[in-house]
Amino acid sequence: MLKKYIIALGLLVITNTALAELVVVVNPANSNALNEKVVQRIFLGKDKKFADGTETIAVNLVGDNALRAQFDQDILGRSSSQVAAYWSKLVFTGKGIPPKEVSSDADVIDLVAKNPSVIGYIDRSSVTDAVKVVEL
Amino acid sequence: MKNIYTKLSLVALGLSTSLYSQADVRINGFANLTAGITTEDTELDGYTDSIDFSHASLFALQFSGDVTDKVTATAQVVARGSNNYEADFEWAYLTYAHDNNSTYTIGRFRLPVFRYSDSLDVGYSYHWITAPQTVYDVAFNNLNGVRYDYSNYSGDLEYLFRFSYGNYEDEIAGGLNAGDDVVLISAEATYNSFKGRLVWGRGNNVFTSPTLDQSVSAFVNGVAQAVGGVDNIPAGVNALVDDILIEDDEGVFLGLGLEFDNFNWFVSGEWTSITLEDSFSPKDVAYYVTAGTRIGKWTPHITYQARDGEDDIKFQDRVASLPAPFQPGAAMFSGGLQTFFFEDYSLITIGARYDLMQNVALKFEVTKYDNKIEPQINPGDAVDTELLNFSVNYVF
Repeated sequence: MLKKYIIALGLLVITNTALAELVVVVNPANSNALNEKVVQRIFLGKDKKFADGTETIAVNLVGDNALRAQFDQDILGRSSSQVAAYWSKLVFTGKGIPPKEVSSDADVIDLVAKNPSVIGYIDRSSVTDAVKVVEL
Repeated sequence: MKNIYTKLSLVALGLSTSLYSQADVRINGFANLTAGITTEDTELDGYTDSIDFSHASLFALQFSGDVTDKVTATAQVVARGSNNYEADFEWAYLTYAHDNNSTYTIGRFRLPVFRYSDSLDVGYSYHWITAPQTVYDVAFNNLNGVRYDYSNYSGDLEYLFRFSYGNYEDEIAGGLNAGDDVVLISAEATYNSFKGRLVWGRGNNVFTSPTLDQSVSAFVNGVAQAVGGVDNIPAGVNALVDDILIEDDEGVFLGLGLEFDNFNWFVSGEWTSITLEDSFSPKDVAYYVTAGTRIGKWTPHITYQARDGEDDIKFQDRVASLPAPFQPGAAMFSGGLQTFFFEDYSLITIGARYDLMQNVALKFEVTKYDNKIEPQINPGDAVDTELLNFSVNYVF
């Protein structure tokens, strides 16, 4: 009985991971057109302003969050270690500061909802009315 | 000079902490702990056949603070094992971000000579334990002066122009080299996985070294004795000494870099040339080619690097124009000094980087050194050897 339960739980975890769908979110007041390239530039510190001139503030999930690895790989096109190596080049030449890291989707939503400059990413299942999903 | 910058940076940091107390002072750091040993009884890159843990190791802290929303003060304190871990302010500069594209930097900063110049000390930022020394071991890595950076992009093409002006002083080839009126212009373009760089630089150089000073005074004194006094030294002899010495002589640097990196594998190379025509210094041409692949946490790689600083003996016409009795001595002096500084060698390195954690990398390398100088010219350089290195790189 217990064994079955564990297997069921295991399946649940697997399905959950498979279902995790990453979406980029911004403040509902942010009406800038964004595509994958622009999101990449923002998260790599290359674009410091949105098209309308507002400052960009990227918010990252912490390194041990599965969605972070997915974001680094799918959107930034490289592993989290390579992203860290990229930032080490900029940080130690005073040319950039990596995005602030928070630990959960709720923290991302909180920051995005409060500030029209903030851009982040969460699991689609976490989306609330406080944020706007950017379809890439 | 260093003190001035130290004070400047402390003032700058003080400003950012006290006057603008809302401004954060960011502290970042990095460390390389590197060990190495040669297989033969010789010296290579500072390593010998007894294991060394300190000479390439370093620990660094960087402080940066926003003075205003456009001005940032940055100071980097580096403690190098080769300097008994005494902490030095290697960089201290103010950056003014004019807009999204233009940045002005003033102070002491890294000169953008090479592909990896900016993060040369941050082992974590590249796959090697140290960047290829045939290319990267130059006296002008740090500059005291000003720099203007312009970066922009159009579609997938990103480009960066940097214009630097200033002066430097650093130890090299057993002496001290000072450069004035240094100008360096670099252009860099990135298109998807491709990157290219072009660099041109020049400077007025003064080089002093005990070896050089001794040779010159021995030669001049010998001539003076022979002719019965310093005043009777033939003009041609003084002219030859002037040819040999680096005294306010122009040096020209050229650099070219190409890279392909699609994050799964990479191949890149740099080629550089340094000429100091009116001096004993031979034209130095150096290059490397490196390639590697990223398999999970592993990055195995291979690098070939070479430096050719062996040239025809210069100033032979000048020697031939001297009165006959002085020619043999002058030829020995001029030729001997030039050949003493000749270099011609290559290195092949096979290694791997392992990303232990997100901010820690472990590295192993085996390097084979092949000296091409005839042993009778520079016996000290003549022993071919293998070098084994291990390193832990850390950033925070």
